[in-house]
Amino acid sequence: MKVFAKFLALLSIFSIISCASNQNNRDISNYVVPVNDFSKTVELLISDKNFLEDEILKINSNNPSVQRIIKSADDYLRQENYIAANSELERAYRITKRDGSLYLRLAHLRYKQGLLKESESFASKGLLLLNISSWERLLLNVYLKN
Amino acid sequence: MKFKLTISFVLGFIGVSILTFVAALVAVIDFRVTSKLEGVLWTVPAKIYSRPLELAEGVNINPDNLIKELDMLSYISVKGPDSPGEFNFSKNNLKIFLRGYLDQKPGLFQVALEDSQVKSIRNQLGLPEDLIRLEPTVIGGMYPAHMEDRVLLNWPEVPQKLVDTILAVEDQDFFNHYGISFKSISRALLKNIQAGEVEQGGSTITQQLAKSLFFSSEQTIRRKVMEAIASLLIEFHYTKEEILLAYINDVFLAQSGRRAIHGFGMGAQHFFGTSISNLSTDQIALLVGMLKGPSLYNPRRNPKNATARRNLVLGILSKNNKISVSAFENLKDKGLGITPPNYRAEIKYPAFHDIVRLELQKNFADKDLRTKGLSIETNLDPVLQSSLEKSLASTKTQLIKKYGNRLDDLEGAAIAVDISNGEIKAVTGSTTPSSYGFNRSINAIRPIGSLVKPLIYLTALDKYDEYNLSTILDDSKLSLASGGEIWEPDNFDKKFHGKIPLHVALWQSYNIASARLGLEVGFESVEDMFLDLGIQKEVPNYPSVFIGSFELSPYDAIQAYQTIAGDGFYTPLRSIRQIKDTDGEIELSYPYSIEQRVRPEPISLIKFAMQQSFVRGTARGYSKKQIEMWNAGGKTGTSDDQRDSWFVGFAGEILVLVWLGFDDNRQTPLTGRTGAFQVWKTFIDDIKPAAIPRTSLPRIQYVWTDMKDGLRSGEKCDNSLLVPFIKGTEPKFVPDVRKKCATRGKTPRESVMDKLKGIFEGGQG
Repeated sequence: MKVFAKFLALLSIFSIISCASNQNNRDISNYVVPVNDFSKTVELLISDKNFLEDEILKINSNNPSVQRIIKSADDYLRQENYIAANSELERAYRITKRDGSLYLRLAHLRYKQGLLKESESFASKGLLLLNISSWERLLLNVYLKN
Repeated sequence: MKFKLTISFVLGFIGVSILTFVAALVAVIDFRVTSKLEGVLWTVPAKIYSRPLELAEGVNINPDNLIKELDMLSYISVKGPDSPGEFNFSKNNLKIFLRGYLDQKPGLFQVALEDSQVKSIRNQLGLPEDLIRLEPTVIGGMYPAHMEDRVLLNWPEVPQKLVDTILAVEDQDFFNHYGISFKSISRALLKNIQAGEVEQGGSTITQQLAKSLFFSSEQTIRRKVMEAIASLLIEFHYTKEEILLAYINDVFLAQSGRRAIHGFGMGAQHFFGTSISNLSTDQIALLVGMLKGPSLYNPRRNPKNATARRNLVLGILSKNNKISVSAFENLKDKGLGITPPNYRAEIKYPAFHDIVRLELQKNFADKDLRTKGLSIETNLDPVLQSSLEKSLASTKTQLIKKYGNRLDDLEGAAIAVDISNGEIKAVTGSTTPSSYGFNRSINAIRPIGSLVKPLIYLTALDKYDEYNLSTILDDSKLSLASGGEIWEPDNFDKKFHGKIPLHVALWQSYNIASARLGLEVGFESVEDMFLDLGIQKEVPNYPSVFIGSFELSPYDAIQAYQTIAGDGFYTPLRSIRQIKDTDGEIELSYPYSIEQRVRPEPISLIKFAMQQSFVRGTARGYSKKQIEMWNAGGKTGTSDDQRDSWFVGFAGEILVLVWLGFDDNRQTPLTGRTGAFQVWKTFIDDIKPAAIPRTSLPRIQYVWTDMKDGLRSGEKCDNSLLVPFIKGTEPKFVPDVRKKCATRGKTPRESVMDKLKGIFEGGQG
């Protein structure tokens, strides 16, 4: 049942991404996603944190320097070395402050560190960005619901 | 028989006594050997570093600031950089030969800039490079009382050529003797006689270590004996590698001010601005040559002596086949390659150092800071720091020109922080910033004047069903019984201004309207807002706090404005990034922490009103384009009788607060605009901060309103201004007098432009 739910969720994710991963990052509001599948995805993202992490770590930056640092941060995150992961994310943040991928990771990292209020605040701050995709927006919203 | 017995008893007693004495002496020396070698020698003061500049594609960097930083790091501008520490900058292209720092390898890199942004980075092979890192500057240390400074090297970090050179010059038999070498002494004697000068010393490395660790330089038999015993003991306790390593870390190389430079690690930093692993053979020869007479062969003070001594060492290396004859011929003609003396000074920025020290003392014992060799990476931006200091000093000079020498002892403080993440980039606590003493950035607690107003107005705007930017405030005469007296606030222009919209009252900085607003929203709400913004201080219960009798230090004041500039997210200001131990492991980090304290919409309203200070208020003087690019906003503050001149303002990614005044609190001729704002302006014009991304606030809507009555107006109406409102709170009523101009049709072109504007300004989602 869970596998089927994941399959459905992924299907709906792909349909969103096909609209939203346009890297110009302008919001495209008229994508078509069956409401039921969509809410299942959101439910799954909220309930299954590993699934959420997988989705977050798939989102990358357009900037090659930031990509490299993000990769190193993700490695640290997987090793549960949160201090080093944070240090890398902050390095990337000094390069660009308008990258949704960084706010998502910071929100997620703080969540993993048990700092729920900070996690929520990073998500809220990320939502103030002009140039994030709908998918990033949706993922950031998950942290507001913790 | 009895006599014989007595003699043998006495002899035996003497013998035992001597043995006991010798044993005791050995024990004492042994204790000193082990305790010193395991104690003092391995104590390394904590070092405080600026942030290392990282260049990566997309990083904003003003080329002038980049060149300034290279200059501060003692990089030398040359035509074709081909060795560490050289660079060339022309037509937005930087060619730089990095010295290397941590995981950044030394080497030649090419950085292309475009519009103050890094476009690409390529390495020597022309391949793209993601990121390069320059060395940070050392901005000070936490030195022990004896001021010994060293960078401790571990055995794997010691280059073989350093070992070869030391052994060739100081002790060729090191690996074969037991601490004392009669062979060395006799050979040295012979060599020195042949050479006609002292080319080699007779003491082994172990003896030299013993000498430097325990004894004064007096030449007595007693001392020689003790030194010999200590040498044997050192050899008994430690391996040859350990002894050599101790020697390499301990030798005295130079005196720099009050600071004593010990060891080759620190020596490399002190004379060449880099780590020992990056030094060339001739540079190592120079350092090793200095052992014989650190002062006589100091390459900064006595370059001729130093060159001769270096070449002598190179000659020994060549004789010992450690370098070829042709290499020797090449190297002996090379320059010394020493970095300028002011590089890596004692403590460069005392106000910043002070803030770092206070922060460190919360988490570390004093002893740990002075001995554990911690490296403290801070957020200080040396270019911004230097510019902030200069801006304060040069503005003071200008003010003295204008107002005369009564401003000679005018003091000041200024802080610059990154508005996104609260990193403290620069701090000064005095108009003579290099002096120690009263650090006004944290210790001058003064009335903040009108700097309090945005905080009061934000308290009101946060109640957005009651207040918006067009809410009418009353700036007519106010009389209030307060503390047994009648309190009657004045405006700076001594006039009353009647009914005015809220945003006008703020950028005109009207006192009476502000006092009434404060009283309306109440002390409790104001105190809550102060707390949310990060001010942990009780708000006294008298109405003058609403117009600026409230006292704060510059540091506490900028913390509150950081929350405003940062869109309502409170971020504790941070001077330190992280602290690493000698193995490079992070011992403690100060992560970027945020907490949403105020909703971003009311913040955007107060930021708009603060922007009006730049457009038409006390901070006017910038072009509209510039103000919009920076999304600049600010507020001047002048306390009672002009005793304090304040300005706080954000421009692009930087928030800066400036205070000017006298330490004895006497009157100045300055207002916020004529004093502190001038410092701010000089600084911002110099550093040209990068823009920050606009925020997406779909609940904010811009509406034309009248600047007098605050009611709905239109683009074509006189005296109208496009003002932001939280959707649903905007004024809707258009007075009859403006019906015509407010509804006048727009040309098709204007309509299209409006639509486009809506898309880009309003955000989506």
